[in-house]
Amino acid sequence: MSTTRKRVYGYLAEFESATALYAAAEKIRDHGFTCWDCYSAYPIHGLDTAMGLKRSILPWFVFCGGLTGMATAFTLAYTTQVVIYPTVVQAKPANLFTLPAFFPILFELTVLFSGLTVLFGLLALIRLPRLNHPLFESHQFHRVTDDGFFIAIEAMDPQFNREQTRDLLAQIGGSSIELVEED
Amino acid sequence: MAQHHVTSADIALHGDHLQSATVSKAKSIAMRVAAVGIVISMYLLFFAPEKIRGCYAYSWLFAFYFFLSLSIGGCFWTLLHNVTNSGWGTSVRRTFENLGSTYPWMFLFALPLLCPNVQQYLYEWMNLQRAATGNVQEFLQHQNSLLDHKYGFMNLPFWYARVIFWGFSLSLVIIGLRRLSVAQDTDPLPGTARLLKARFHSTYTLILFALTVTFTGYDFLLGMDYKWFSTMWGVYLFGGSALNSMAVIILVCAWLKSLGHLKHVTSDEHFHIMGKLLLAFTIFWAYISFSQAFLIWYANITEETSYFLIRNTGHWNTAMITLIIGHFVVPFVILLQAWMKRSSKALSILAGYMLCMHVLDHYLITIPVRGISLGNIKPDVFGDIQTSIPWAFWGDVLAFVTVGAAFLFFLLRALGQHSLYPNRDPRILESSNFSN
Repeated sequence: MSTTRKRVYGYLAEFESATALYAAAEKIRDHGFTCWDCYSAYPIHGLDTAMGLKRSILPWFVFCGGLTGMATAFTLAYTTQVVIYPTVVQAKPANLFTLPAFFPILFELTVLFSGLTVLFGLLALIRLPRLNHPLFESHQFHRVTDDGFFIAIEAMDPQFNREQTRDLLAQIGGSSIELVEED
Repeated sequence: MAQHHVTSADIALHGDHLQSATVSKAKSIAMRVAAVGIVISMYLLFFAPEKIRGCYAYSWLFAFYFFLSLSIGGCFWTLLHNVTNSGWGTSVRRTFENLGSTYPWMFLFALPLLCPNVQQYLYEWMNLQRAATGNVQEFLQHQNSLLDHKYGFMNLPFWYARVIFWGFSLSLVIIGLRRLSVAQDTDPLPGTARLLKARFHSTYTLILFALTVTFTGYDFLLGMDYKWFSTMWGVYLFGGSALNSMAVIILVCAWLKSLGHLKHVTSDEHFHIMGKLLLAFTIFWAYISFSQAFLIWYANITEETSYFLIRNTGHWNTAMITLIIGHFVVPFVILLQAWMKRSSKALSILAGYMLCMHVLDHYLITIPVRGISLGNIKPDVFGDIQTSIPWAFWGDVLAFVTVGAAFLFFLLRALGQHSLYPNRDPRILESSNFSN
């Protein structure tokens, strides 16, 4: 007999189809849950509004990243090409008004910094990479990459209640409801 | 997301028709303005004192090509929609077709430009060739080596043949596609045959479209200065044309929606997509126009730099800088925001603004050449070369209002002819329930 104490992660419920998942998500949203998520093998259009998700703040990170890239490129090109060592070709001047000559650099670094901000900002926001997830404890959850549609409500949620949350999941059409515990 | 899932019960069985009473007044006013304007324009182009005739030829070219670019863009979006097999745009496709269907009418405004009396002020190369005695090519060999090298492309018979071909070919394409699309509205067994047929015929005609937008630009605009050349010219005009015809489409769709049409079938999602296309082409236009300027600046060849020297002299320079900021920086930053693209009202304001910038763009393409070319071609009448001819501005306004009123008339006429969306298209429900 095991005596190790396990921490409750939350309830996992399976749904029949994407449509059922969508409808269930709307109801959970309306109940005011905050720590929960939907799991499916493919993106479902409009599920973010059904879940009541707000727009990501990632675009603002990217905007700042892009501006940083542009500023970097400007400093780099201006310092080297105007201040330190002006390259005179065909008697063309090198000053602030020849800025268009630096546009390719400005453009490239803006794109590069934006792209890197997208990648690392996204990874940070979705908290990846991580080595494990409590839901992997559940056996039925393995089907999520194949044909399973799941909703998991975390025990962290202030609204979480051992009986009521289970009843709610059953009531909105969830089956194989399981209390997932992590080691 | 639409408020509820749109089903076939929400689709108008016999089509969504524009009430003729709502537009008849605007249509008749536009028609009268255009008719009066055309009469005055014909006087100014053919019978007025020479000084006015010369200046007004440029005004006419500017107004004609501006509105032609919007029509050409309508053809482009129709063809692109068909060929990409896209589902989202079915509920706004008829607006693409209606805008495109003004092309044959707008091309009629090229007729004055086919007359030697008008051409003599616009196209110096034609004057040089018309003045030739005996064999034109032999004459050019001795007189004008550059024009002699370009003779294979720049000769009068080929120029006329090309212009007529551009006028007829794309007209046939857009009339054919629109007919095919409209026939489905009343067919009790619509099926997919017409859709597949439209898709098939949009492939090779897309090449025809590319040739038309490129070479109308070469024949009418680039020909003003036969010494200048730019391989990006066609793409540059295409960028502006696709961008601003999308602006017109947004304005038309928002207007129709405010009248209570396109109900159920269009939502914020469609405006979101059209806003995205507007953003994409704002960037595309900037990319192309910068590349053109950059390559010319970089290579520093006398014949090429003339384009920017003319437009960076005097107050034209202010206008050019305004164009960079107004045509790219401002709309780019505004359109980055998603809420902006989803609100039909905010997007229409921006679309209207884009069109104003397009006017400036085309004004800067055509008009700065006027003072220089006229001084070159007939110094005895027009005096010395000038950067601009101040009073000629009012001619530009008149030509713009004339052609613009005609454009509005033909667009409203096209909108009133058939259902405002393809109500029996197999993809109409897919398009109505579309979500980004």
